[in-house]
Amino acid sequence: MNMKYGILFVVVVVSLLLAISLGQSAGAQNGVEEIKIGVVAPLTGGASTTGLDMWQAAVLAKDEINAQGGVNVNGVNMQIKLIQGDTGTSPGTGVTVVTKLITADEVDVLVGGFSSGITYADQVVAAEHKVPFIITGASSPVITRRDDIDTSYFFHHCPTTDDYGEDTLLFVDEIVRPAINERFGFPADRKLKLAVLYQDSKYGVGVYEGITKAIGEHNLNVDVVAAEKFKMSETDFRTVLTVIKASNPDVVYPAAFINEQTVIVTQGRRDVGLDTIYLSVECCDDPDYYTGVERWGEYSIQESRFSPYTIPAGDIHDSVAQYKQDFEAKWGVAPSMMGSSTYEGVYIAAEAIKNAGTVDKEKVRAALAEIEMPQMVEAMQNGVITFSPDYRESKFELYMQQLIWDESVGETRPKIVWPDSVKETEFVLPGWYESGSAPTETATATPTEAPTTTPEEPGFEAVFAIAGLLAVGYLVLRQRK
Amino acid sequence: MDIGVFIQILVWGLYAGCIYILLAIGLNLIFGVMKVVNFAHGEVLMLGAYAAFWIYTYSSINPYLIIPASMLLIAILGVFIERLGFRPIMGTGKLNEIFLSLGLIYLFQNLVAFLWSTNSRSIRSPYGEVVVPIGAIKLPLDYLIIIIFTIVFIIAFQLFMKKTTTGRAMRATSQNREAAALMGINVERMDMLSFALGSALAAAAGSLWLISGQMATPYMGSIPAIKAFAVVIIGGLGSIPGAIVAGMTLGIVENVVPLLMSSLVGILGFEMSFTAWKDTIAFFILIIVLVIRPTGIFGEKGE
Amino acid sequence: MKLDRLKLDRMNLKAWLGVISLILAFLIPIISGIDTYLLTVLILMLVFIMYASAWNLLALSGQGSLGHAAFFGIGGYTSAIIAKSLGLPPLATILVGGLFAAFIGVLIGLTCVRLREWFLGMVTFGFAVIAHTITAELSWLTGGWDGLPAKKIIPVSVQNYLMYEYYLMLLLTVVVVVIIWMIMKSRIGLAFEAIRENELEAKVMGINVTRYKLMAFAVSAFFTGVAGALQIHHFGYITPEVYAIDISFLPIIYCVSGGLFTIEGPILGTIFITLLDEGLKNFGWTYERYIVIGLILILVVRFLPKGFVSIPEKIKSRLKSHP
Repeated sequence: MNMKYGILFVVVVVSLLLAISLGQSAGAQNGVEEIKIGVVAPLTGGASTTGLDMWQAAVLAKDEINAQGGVNVNGVNMQIKLIQGDTGTSPGTGVTVVTKLITADEVDVLVGGFSSGITYADQVVAAEHKVPFIITGASSPVITRRDDIDTSYFFHHCPTTDDYGEDTLLFVDEIVRPAINERFGFPADRKLKLAVLYQDSKYGVGVYEGITKAIGEHNLNVDVVAAEKFKMSETDFRTVLTVIKASNPDVVYPAAFINEQTVIVTQGRRDVGLDTIYLSVECCDDPDYYTGVERWGEYSIQESRFSPYTIPAGDIHDSVAQYKQDFEAKWGVAPSMMGSSTYEGVYIAAEAIKNAGTVDKEKVRAALAEIEMPQMVEAMQNGVITFSPDYRESKFELYMQQLIWDESVGETRPKIVWPDSVKETEFVLPGWYESGSAPTETATATPTEAPTTTPEEPGFEAVFAIAGLLAVGYLVLRQRK
Repeated sequence: MDIGVFIQILVWGLYAGCIYILLAIGLNLIFGVMKVVNFAHGEVLMLGAYAAFWIYTYSSINPYLIIPASMLLIAILGVFIERLGFRPIMGTGKLNEIFLSLGLIYLFQNLVAFLWSTNSRSIRSPYGEVVVPIGAIKLPLDYLIIIIFTIVFIIAFQLFMKKTTTGRAMRATSQNREAAALMGINVERMDMLSFALGSALAAAAGSLWLISGQMATPYMGSIPAIKAFAVVIIGGLGSIPGAIVAGMTLGIVENVVPLLMSSLVGILGFEMSFTAWKDTIAFFILIIVLVIRPTGIFGEKGE
Repeated sequence: MKLDRLKLDRMNLKAWLGVISLILAFLIPIISGIDTYLLTVLILMLVFIMYASAWNLLALSGQGSLGHAAFFGIGGYTSAIIAKSLGLPPLATILVGGLFAAFIGVLIGLTCVRLREWFLGMVTFGFAVIAHTITAELSWLTGGWDGLPAKKIIPVSVQNYLMYEYYLMLLLTVVVVVIIWMIMKSRIGLAFEAIRENELEAKVMGINVTRYKLMAFAVSAFFTGVAGALQIHHFGYITPEVYAIDISFLPIIYCVSGGLFTIEGPILGTIFITLLDEGLKNFGWTYERYIVIGLILILVVRFLPKGFVSIPEKIKSRLKSHP
């Protein structure tokens, strides 16, 4: 027993000593000319895989820049120093860590930011201290559009949920819809029936809003026949997929994380028999997804901007290959998507400071607003990284890939099918594909169907409603006793 | 909603219920014998899934054959948890059990994340693409195996508890600890055994879940564990038949109610999706049951 | 006679320690200058001292909540919404936030009156999940997943506003802790303890168990709501992340490690664990931090059931037994 107390005491004392280091490391400063960049990313909690990738990519960018002599700031070569900021899973941690980066570490620029909910709170601190923040992870378009704080210091270098929805829907309207019409002999103006299954979070709701926006803005010939939500980390999608199946969709668009997307596609095809084209958001373009989804993912569509298994053709090919090689050489693992935009984010920060000729925050902000640099490892629109004048967003050239079975690895592998500029192969509508409705769907078919199904519903539900009322009544009576 | 769809949903609920039941029986067994509750039971499930994953990765044999190995490993872990964690604090107040479990949750989740990252892991089932048609319903073979496993286990478990000496001793311990000790039963060994068995069951649930197409992450255990607690509470602490009935019911109800709610709201003229309310509904049910019967539906006296 | 003096000495010692730490807390901004990071850490620490003390009060009555984030978030949202729609200053709306949290607390308490230990834990945990879902769903009121901007307690335009905020928080924390301390020392606190020790006996003694249990819920939820409102008015923004499971678990970790059912336990625990967490972060530690916190919690429950506050006593008794 006494020895155990001893152990406890050692633990307590050691932890206290560690805590004391808080003040020291925060206060430590040195005189070397350095550019300090704070990397804000979740290194603990459910999103930490992404956060780690962001940090590793930033370190790679820093090493490369420093190896080439650093950043030439008004004739002086300055080295870059990165400072890690773990935002964890709660806005509280995020705010503390960003405050620390800004005021204790005195960073010149912030790069990163993943979860939108946490970034919203971080931004308040960054705006107050007027620190330029290149946001490379959070996908909500609100980030640079909110009006409760001054957003002029925020630069959004990653596609927004609006962009996901827009490009994916444009592809569906341009390629998938005609292919379905041709296969089943539908008239060319038949509306494509889309079902959306989205995560109940800022990310999922954002993608859904992006979809409806895109349909309206581009006047797409697409009908949303079902829109269902699910709770984050849900594992059982059979019921909701059954409901979706009953709405007869031509295409299903889940807005999910990879562990959810894997299960949605597997359960959809294997359990529910919803043999359709599944779309997916870019974050699912990850080696774990290909392993997890097995053959069920065959022919599904992924929007992407940086893939572990394919490299878009064209000018960008060599630099992506080089980046992948360097990243693997440094870290022993393959790079993934969020890291690649953070990698670019560090380069953007360096370029802006070079152009500004100073680390003065206001001047760096001005330089960021006017930045124009060639694309690096992700394809940009017009091949240039630049921030739009209105909401300071860079515009990515997103592409669509289709998962094709590769017998040699026993998994599916992506092939780029859209847009034409980087396309590797043509989109394939698989033989097992079932469209949402019978070939001869005309204006007369729907009205006859509808009356037969609707009257059944109230009767069925009424039973449950009455049961519910009885339960409540019982409850009340019981309490009264 | 037509009746075919409804039946299908019932079947999915049944399958989901199996995982809850495996967890709930383990919890019930531990509670019965020791009168403690391991809130970190979901983390035990998670560790079981990871054990299965690593054995599978290094041996690549049929994943179903791995389950016993995973169960054995986690049973040993269960003994450690019992000996080093729960036994020393037995009798120091129920709140301490909750706090200890909380510490275990933090420890296990972050240890796994630290050692093996938070990447999603999966096991490929050899029968992943086999679907068995039963009447109008197409049931994947993996689910059939899980359902059969659960049934076989429940029967074996009941036989063990009723026919073997050890099982009888465990039942005696859970009925009256002091009397059992006086009768010469080694109650401490029963404690250890119950923790080992309960943990092994959680490991089985985790492995089966992983093989049937789920992905393993350090956080995978929390939701099923919470549901299993709800099942145990609704069914009544210590009641195994209660756990079975409640597990099945919860599996079905949480799937059906969101749809009914959507239709009900639809009748009123609103369009709203309640499918994200599954957990919320599970808790509503739990709270209603507890308000009516604080000891659960099948619980006799509870605590 | 001797025993009485010993007791008095200990009380004196405690009082002295309290006064000294208060003076220290008051001097920190003056010694360190206006260090924004330090002040942010300290402000959040103060918020959590209030929060953990409020949780501790509920635990005192034998009700260990696992879902206090519900009150924390409800307080925050109520205050943010009212401050925004009525244009009232945050200092006024914080009280409304607390009151509404207390109202919800009584409702939740009603369902929990007949429940004990982990039945109650599950139900409170469930209420946090339900509050989360409903908040995200009521997007016309709460902004849904986009959340709401919340007014700063002291406008950013005020010079050194963070320092004033710190002193304001310090004052409020002292007030809250003193009120909770007075409740704990009063007849109400004794009744709570009697209920926790043995509900049946308490009933026999003539204590209205239901009333006191509800009172514990109301008071605890009130101060939790106030703490939540203070936190989001400090951040300037609120999102449904405020209902995160971690927010429910943190006060438990603070209270248990510091010392349950004591007034100084939650304070000590909050300071210690917060500093530890921040300190370890500077080593680049990520998961290791939580592993350490988990281990501390397990070790404390196992070997130091009365928390850090009992360490001096333990040392004393050890010295006595091994002269």
